[in-house]
Amino acid sequence: MRWFYFQEAWRSFSHHRGLATTAILSLTAALTVAGVFVLLAHNARITMRMMGDRREMVIYLKDEVSRDEREALMTRLHQLYGEVTYVSKEQAWIDFSDQIGDPQLLESVEGNPLPASLHIKLKPELLNYSAMEQAARQLEQFPEVEDVRFGGEWVKRLDNVGNAIERGAIVVGVLVAIGMVFVLYNTIRLTVLARRPQVEIMSRLGATDRFVATPFILEALLQALISTLLALGVVFAFQQAFVARVVPIAFMPWSWVGLFAGSVLFLAWIAAVLALSRVLRAVGA
Amino acid sequence: MITFHQVSKRHGERLVLDGISWRMDEGECVVFVGHSGAGKTTILRLITHEVAPSAGTVQVGTFRSGRLSRGQRALLRRTLGIIYEDFRLLNDRTVFENIALAVRIAGRFGNEEVIPRVLFALREVGLQDKQLSFPGELSAGEKQRVAIARAIVNRPAVILADEPTGALEKKSSDEILDLLRKIHGEGSALLLATTREDVAAQIGGRRLSISDGKITEGDVNPSLPVTAARLFEAGS
Repeated sequence: MRWFYFQEAWRSFSHHRGLATTAILSLTAALTVAGVFVLLAHNARITMRMMGDRREMVIYLKDEVSRDEREALMTRLHQLYGEVTYVSKEQAWIDFSDQIGDPQLLESVEGNPLPASLHIKLKPELLNYSAMEQAARQLEQFPEVEDVRFGGEWVKRLDNVGNAIERGAIVVGVLVAIGMVFVLYNTIRLTVLARRPQVEIMSRLGATDRFVATPFILEALLQALISTLLALGVVFAFQQAFVARVVPIAFMPWSWVGLFAGSVLFLAWIAAVLALSRVLRAVGA
Repeated sequence: MITFHQVSKRHGERLVLDGISWRMDEGECVVFVGHSGAGKTTILRLITHEVAPSAGTVQVGTFRSGRLSRGQRALLRRTLGIIYEDFRLLNDRTVFENIALAVRIAGRFGNEEVIPRVLFALREVGLQDKQLSFPGELSAGEKQRVAIARAIVNRPAVILADEPTGALEKKSSDEILDLLRKIHGEGSALLLATTREDVAAQIGGRRLSISDGKITEGDVNPSLPVTAARLFEAGS
């Protein structure tokens, strides 16, 4: 019986090739837009993660902090905030000298005015502006701490970019989902209306709604699957062209591809069920 | 098996059926004869629950009008075999597939039973050599035979035939009526609606005349005692 449903779906699909092709092309266009956006979002996420990994908090220590106090502080900070690295006054001077590069300029400086510091590579859950700001306020309360720096403005901007990409992905995702449901809903409706005599005859012969609807649902899933594969192909070609001509970007991971295809099929199912629940009541008296 | 009790049906302002009551029992043959628009097809559509009565009740087996869900309506239709004047065949399927569809819709038989059942039905209507033809390749008489095969393939308790010879010339018409008589002889109840007196005479059975939505002639309730039948009629 199940094979029968597939046969019926294929029969309907092949008999209404024009309608099916139009639906597939429309869906492919919408899904390609969504796919390109997912690709960009994925690469933006990779970039953000790489940049986020570089985010660190620098704590400048008072000169009078002893070695024992410093080590106790490092242990505490490690527990609370993340990986801690100590940069001594001497190391700070060497780094500064390397950056300046001109020994004559350095000669005019008396002694070593630079403080020792602790560099904290923050835990992932603290890699956002508000958490970093809160951490900075807490750290300033420690008696050993002279000053705390974490590049607040830069972190804020990075966070804003990340949030904008996330919001954009949601908006595009919702728009594409609505567009997809609309296209499939109307395609299924038109397909059922085009096969109205068949649906009426089946209904007169005692076919249940499920019997009549199942092939149409399979047909919608088939259209969605073909569109998804085509859209993923176009997105892959886009990624390859981008890699060859602009900058190297990564294709979506398989888990994202699976989620993308699964979401499309789920939406196709929803659209088909919605369309059929309305149109079968009108057609199959 | 089928009981109409004071059934009226309106289509807008027009009264198509006017409080009719009648019944038929298992294995019976009933022929409704009447002019076009008399209400014959409406009676058949009320039996299949394609339309609901405006007043009164229609009972088919255990199914009673007014309370049927879509699922129950589908179940009811699967207990009937229906033959239409215009055949209602699917033109994109072969003869075999048209008949097999009814078997699959019935849902009572496994895949392995579909082929033998269809072939048996085709043999009964004498179309075993046309199983791979499409409806468009058949004559009107052959199409009606296919429709009959589709109606009988699930061995329904009742066969409803709405002007089954309406689109046929004399020879094909005689063949179809012979076939329907044969099927009725094998045990199925037969309810036939026709405008033609000769068809009614040829098919035999209990004849009910209908005109302008009223049964004007014939025994509407033969299986009840005379007094009960009269009471039943008096109430209608």
